[in-house]
Amino acid sequence: MLDTKKVGSVMIVGGGVTGMQAALDLADSGYYVYLVEKSGAIGGAMAQLDKTFPTNDCSM
Amino acid sequence: MTLSEVTQIDGIAGDFKVTVKEAPRYVDVEKCIACGKCTEKCPKKVDSEYDAATGKRKAIYVKYAQAVPLKYQIDADACIRLQKPGACGFCEKVCDAGAINFNDTEKIHQLNVGAVVLAPGFEAFDPTDAGVWGFGVYPNVITSLQLERYLSASGPTEGHLIRPSDKRPVNKVAFLQCVGSRDENLCGNGYCSSVCCMYAIKEAVIAKDHVPGLQTTIFYMDMRTHGKEFDLYMERAKEDSGVRFVRCRVNGVEPDGSGGDLRLSYVNEEGRQLEEYYDMVVLSVGLQTPKHVLELAHTAGIKLTADNFAATSDFAPVQTSREGIFTCGAIAGPKDIPQSVVEGSAAAAAVADLLAPARFELTTEATFPQEKDVSREEPRIGVFVCHCGSNIAGTVDVKAVEEYAATLPDVVYVERNLFSCSQDTQEMITKRIREQNLNRIVIAACTPRTHEPLFRETLKAAGLNEYLVEMANIRNHNSWVHTKDPKAATAKAKDLVRMAAAKVTFGDSLKPFAVPITQKGLVIGGGVAGMTAALNLAEQGFAVHLVERTEVLGGNALNLKHTWAGEHVPSQLAKLIDKVTGNDKITIHKGASVTKVDGFVGNFSSTITDRNGATLVIDHGAGIVATGGDAYIPTEYNFDSITGVVTSVQFDKLFELKEQHVKKARRFVFIQCVGSREEGNMYCSKVCCTHSVQSAIALKKENPERNVYILYRDMRTYGQREALYKQARKLGVIFINYELHGKPKVTQNGSVIDVEVWDHVLHRPLKIEADMVILATAIRPQGDAAELGKLYKVPVDKQGFFQEAHAKLRPVDFSTDGMFVAGLAHYPKPVEESIAQALAASARAATLLSKSHISLDAVKATVDEDYCDGCALCVDVCPYNAITLIEKPAKAGGAGGKTIVVNKAQCKGCGLCQGTCPKRGVYVAGFTMKQISAQIQAALAV
Amino acid sequence: MSFEPKIVAFCCNWCSYAAADLAGTARMQYPHNVRIIRVMCSGMVHPEFVMDALSQGADGVMVLG
Repeated sequence: MLDTKKVGSVMIVGGGVTGMQAALDLADSGYYVYLVEKSGAIGGAMAQLDKTFPTNDCSM
Repeated sequence: MTLSEVTQIDGIAGDFKVTVKEAPRYVDVEKCIACGKCTEKCPKKVDSEYDAATGKRKAIYVKYAQAVPLKYQIDADACIRLQKPGACGFCEKVCDAGAINFNDTEKIHQLNVGAVVLAPGFEAFDPTDAGVWGFGVYPNVITSLQLERYLSASGPTEGHLIRPSDKRPVNKVAFLQCVGSRDENLCGNGYCSSVCCMYAIKEAVIAKDHVPGLQTTIFYMDMRTHGKEFDLYMERAKEDSGVRFVRCRVNGVEPDGSGGDLRLSYVNEEGRQLEEYYDMVVLSVGLQTPKHVLELAHTAGIKLTADNFAATSDFAPVQTSREGIFTCGAIAGPKDIPQSVVEGSAAAAAVADLLAPARFELTTEATFPQEKDVSREEPRIGVFVCHCGSNIAGTVDVKAVEEYAATLPDVVYVERNLFSCSQDTQEMITKRIREQNLNRIVIAACTPRTHEPLFRETLKAAGLNEYLVEMANIRNHNSWVHTKDPKAATAKAKDLVRMAAAKVTFGDSLKPFAVPITQKGLVIGGGVAGMTAALNLAEQGFAVHLVERTEVLGGNALNLKHTWAGEHVPSQLAKLIDKVTGNDKITIHKGASVTKVDGFVGNFSSTITDRNGATLVIDHGAGIVATGGDAYIPTEYNFDSITGVVTSVQFDKLFELKEQHVKKARRFVFIQCVGSREEGNMYCSKVCCTHSVQSAIALKKENPERNVYILYRDMRTYGQREALYKQARKLGVIFINYELHGKPKVTQNGSVIDVEVWDHVLHRPLKIEADMVILATAIRPQGDAAELGKLYKVPVDKQGFFQEAHAKLRPVDFSTDGMFVAGLAHYPKPVEESIAQALAASARAATLLSKSHISLDAVKATVDEDYCDGCALCVDVCPYNAITLIEKPAKAGGAGGKTIVVNKAQCKGCGLCQGTCPKRGVYVAGFTMKQISAQIQAALAV
Repeated sequence: MSFEPKIVAFCCNWCSYAAADLAGTARMQYPHNVRIIRVMCSGMVHPEFVMDALSQGADGVMVLG
């Protein structure tokens, strides 16, 4: 593995809350990120939720 | 990249070639301004996926109002024109931007990447085909996701809970748990979906908030509220909100008459058949891996578990079976939002470990034009009034606000935008700033808490200082809360614009300033979490100090034998210890603890003291608290006096050693929730149910003749652990439920131990004779967690576990910048969750450590040398110890005396100093006395 | 016309201002008489501001933090 070429970019498949977190952390630590989302907009399932426990914050 | 799917992954870790297929959108995203005219005109209506089919959308649509990117798309299957050339085409005609392109085609992209992270999520179980409880037949049987949409202000009924059948208000709702989970007959999903118990409680509580007097009942098998603060939430739901919980088996949902009411029949705990009537029945549907994700897994060539989730190791929870491909979120097992976010960061850490040599190779810094000096210019204010679609314009007369703004002093330019935050409007604002030579900007739109950073970037792009913008919150504070009084809302919008203009007139150009970062990490705690975090940081290339209080590495994992999935803990732990001790970037300090902390994000210096009192100062940019948890030593169940009563950790040792008592014993009783889920310790220790079930299985396997009982309150074998519970039942382990008010009694009776427990079915106490009683004892926080917390200014919760910054969205961050948390220090959890959290903490720390400088907000206390007389009143009130009293440098002609200096890195800009200072000697940049006075004056001017 | 009071509210960016945002998100309806001034902490509100507001015609001042 040592002398093989390493590419400084990452593909993340899925633009929900977990994919976005991975994308943000990688972009913030110096990697180029491709975020691939199947639907027309990112946000995933969490964007469908009204409020979240335990604080009943709005999901948006 | 939206509307895109991965179709092929070639190559090896570090160098993949990925093929991505992008479906046509039929709308040019560069041109679309999301005005919504197309949707208005589109004649074709279909069920909205976003609203889980509770509402409709058009064939040309935007996924949801806050979608990113906020661009429309055409559903080719529903579009009349795309199905029949020459027909319809209304959207194309009304689109002023000319964004519609019916000839759009599929595109194939080839991308070269070093790693792939799979985060495709889950789908909710669809009860239609299985016909569960009449879903799809009786209109008032809905799924939990549909209820979620009904309760949402952006949903089809704008948050009004009504019955789908007759739109009548709802008075009585039943929630049926485990639909599509823990049920192999009906749906084939044997696992527990882990999240439904909690979301059902939440929906019941929220529904009650929406409809006063609403009766809600949750019908369940086990309430699995094992997460942090979940049990407290359930108690509140019971006690404060009056949600009713019924442990039972539901055996029928039938219509009652033709009015849409539903009759629910069930067998209660006493074994009696009962019937109840409801207006609405909500099915708490589980999570499963969708078909397209199975295809993706196939494309990626990764292994799956029997439950169709990605197979991972408990010691590498985000690594798939193919090197260089990682997972996070629900693809690797059903899980809640915090755990998904944790895994998102954990996957980032795993990727960074792999690709560390290529860091910064492909990224570029954003560049901005030279900033214009406006300090000598007269104010030239530009006001941009946002419609926010109809969110603002639907209530406020935005045209009147525009006209009014133009009459304000120093305002030279006003314009309205449909969405001020959209990409094209941003570019337009940049253009206007240059064109009109604007030097102060007011954005009348939504809240600065979410959107100010965006508009600051816009100003920077236009060569204007980013602090010369002020937002007037005419949406959250106005159009949304005065919907019924458009006239008053319009008047208030004018006032808010006037106040913002008054404040920004006195705005100054401010410089965010950079603080250098010590690119080293400190990890406190040498257990699995601490070692994992330290190792990951080291492999990413950062120097790490690992501080462990005892003389050995390993922590609580030294007591464990197997993970729930059966992986051998001691050998994996030994490997981890070897890697940590062998890594030359990690400096290990055993027998030492942190005793003093100075500094702040990027520049901490922690003093550690060893057994002999010798101290060492460690400089570090970020810190990870992984101090672990403690085992509860029971005082109940005669633990002290009966030798045959042991804790589960003690039992594991005896069992492992094949100790004679255990070997010979025939009758075992496990008692769950010892020290958990009761007054004062209202939390679930999360691991004990699975642990006891595993021990019970081992006992039965060794000798099937043994009688093994587990006395439990709720069996919480969540996720894919459910398979163990099933296996135990199959092997003949007897599970007996007890309630908090009827705890078992344990007494010595000669050579046997009597365990007495209330039998619900027989209505009388049941006596079990046992040779051995095993107490599933709680995980407690470290007794001195709060003391360590004080040193780093990080809080602990009521129980004494460390409190993260945000339960959902920042699960490993502390509210103190630069500090992170992982493992049992945060909350009880199994090994794989500790490891995921440790990786996540490492990824979060690496976002800081990978930079040489950190840029801090310019909203900071600033000393006005002319007025400050060194009275030092502010020094005492500053909560961040950011102010120091110094001798005034003697100026020519002036006396010496005292004054203050502000450490801007420590200052949070709270302005307690400004509120305290009697001499106007200190102010907060961006919120000066002059600015706020101007705002007050403007507020009351009319 | 009935009496319409003018109220100035100083709201902390981190709690009460956020709460006012949330009230909007939840579409809670409340009287329109209040004008919110965002501060970074209620502790930033100098006593002078309260006096200023009252002397310039405010019928009430709220400091929320």
